[in-house]
Amino acid sequence: MVLRSIKLALVLVWYFLATATAYAQEEGAATARQVVEKFQAELIEVMKNGKQLGYAGRYEKLKDPVSNSHDLTKIARIVVGKEWEKLSEDQQQNLVDVFSRLSIASYAHNFKEYSGESFVFDSEEETARGGVVVHSHLVVPGEKDVKFDYMLKEKGPSWRIINIIANGVSDLALKRSEYTAILQREGFDALIAKINEKIDNYSKQ
Amino acid sequence: MLMNKLNGNRYGKIKQTLSGMLIGAAVTLSGCASTGGVEQQVEANPVDPYEGFNRKMYVFNDTVDDYVAKPISDAYKFITPQFVQTGVFNFFNNLKNINIVLNDVLQAKFQQSAHDTGRFAINTTVGLAGLFDVAKQFGLEQNEEDFEQTLAVWGVPQGSYLVLPFLGPTTARGIPGSIFDTAANPVTYVGAPVQLVSMLNSRANAEGALKFIDEAALDPYVFTRESFLQWRHSLAADGKVDVSDDLLDFEEEALEDDVNATSGQTAAAEQDASGNTTNPKAFALKLSADNKEFEQVSNSFSSTAQSFDATAKSFEEASNKIDQLKFK
Repeated sequence: MVLRSIKLALVLVWYFLATATAYAQEEGAATARQVVEKFQAELIEVMKNGKQLGYAGRYEKLKDPVSNSHDLTKIARIVVGKEWEKLSEDQQQNLVDVFSRLSIASYAHNFKEYSGESFVFDSEEETARGGVVVHSHLVVPGEKDVKFDYMLKEKGPSWRIINIIANGVSDLALKRSEYTAILQREGFDALIAKINEKIDNYSKQ
Repeated sequence: MLMNKLNGNRYGKIKQTLSGMLIGAAVTLSGCASTGGVEQQVEANPVDPYEGFNRKMYVFNDTVDDYVAKPISDAYKFITPQFVQTGVFNFFNNLKNINIVLNDVLQAKFQQSAHDTGRFAINTTVGLAGLFDVAKQFGLEQNEEDFEQTLAVWGVPQGSYLVLPFLGPTTARGIPGSIFDTAANPVTYVGAPVQLVSMLNSRANAEGALKFIDEAALDPYVFTRESFLQWRHSLAADGKVDVSDDLLDFEEEALEDDVNATSGQTAAAEQDASGNTTNPKAFALKLSADNKEFEQVSNSFSSTAQSFDATAKSFEEASNKIDQLKFK
């Protein structure tokens, strides 16, 4: 009998603690999963209004969601690899700016319409170095699901996306190979010119 | 959804396109190679030691595509009604299932082979020789297997990245893979007209992927290479993302950068330390991976019986659904 009441008390305490921490999380910093799900919801929302918004409208709507959920500075830095240190401070800033615009522009261009797509959360796992990978997939009616794996790192109080792996293809790895190849072969100005050209093309379609 | 198209099975199809014209290509190429532009040798990529040659092949294929394949494919897409295009796609896609089942078995994925056999049987019968993808409506999605993946599962190393004239991107392991796949595809043994339609269908379906590359790539050659290699890797690993793999390098580098900013010496020391600790870890990882393989094989054998049950069940379900359709 005593044992039973202790057990009950313990369960109550545990329950209380669990709800308390849940509240704390909601009020304070978002977890990695929350960051991803918020961004996905915002993306779907823009897709739903994609046609009316047009490219410029989608770009404006996605500007904050993308910059707030992604660590664009860090991504820009990883994407040029060791070349980063060879760049002047102005060049580094220039790269981060142009790269951020490219990221938003490619979202605005590729997620332009809605045909019943939805994101589904699968699982979450921690990496060896304190990162978190959120596994999810995009359900596209009539087509095969697309796997989306988000790699996040802690930045200040919150989590930020630093890589997206779509159906096994890592965006970060892909961009890194491209950007370092261009920097080595053609130099910094050519890289910036090419990124700007892409942004222009995205805005035209 | 362009993202989807990029990663789909399209590259494989480009690869298959125009097979058998390799010899003709070799002749034309000798002229092509000498006219290549200025070559800047940069840090050689370990997976792509023949980058100079590969880039020339890439430009060659691109030109052939621009002037021959794309116009024909565009005409086909313009003339042919969508339902015919879908039917043609389904027909050739269904024939691929024979090869998929073979490779399921070679990889000891017996449950999956039962699934794919069921898919093939349903589409060949109810789906009128594969023209309709009925199995998809029943929730039987097509798996993607080929002999290159089988070789990967068997432990054959990937080898260098290669761009073949007309055939497109592949790897040293992909060449025997394609030969096996071609041999296991009935299309190989019928007349040239059918093969031509098959090629046309492949090119038409690659349109989305090629357009995406055009739009997104800063360096289309590198973009194609990286996405091809990653996509093949992901298929061989059955879509499992290896968290501990390349991502860790990025993190390490980012971390290094952070430390570098404050003091160079600690960075070096940390690198040393991390270098020392990763070795035994990597070894342990390998051991556990080996273990896992054994487990997988024994698991898959024990699941054979189960898979037969599953097939029977899926047939039953399918016939139930067909009955329901009839009533409607």
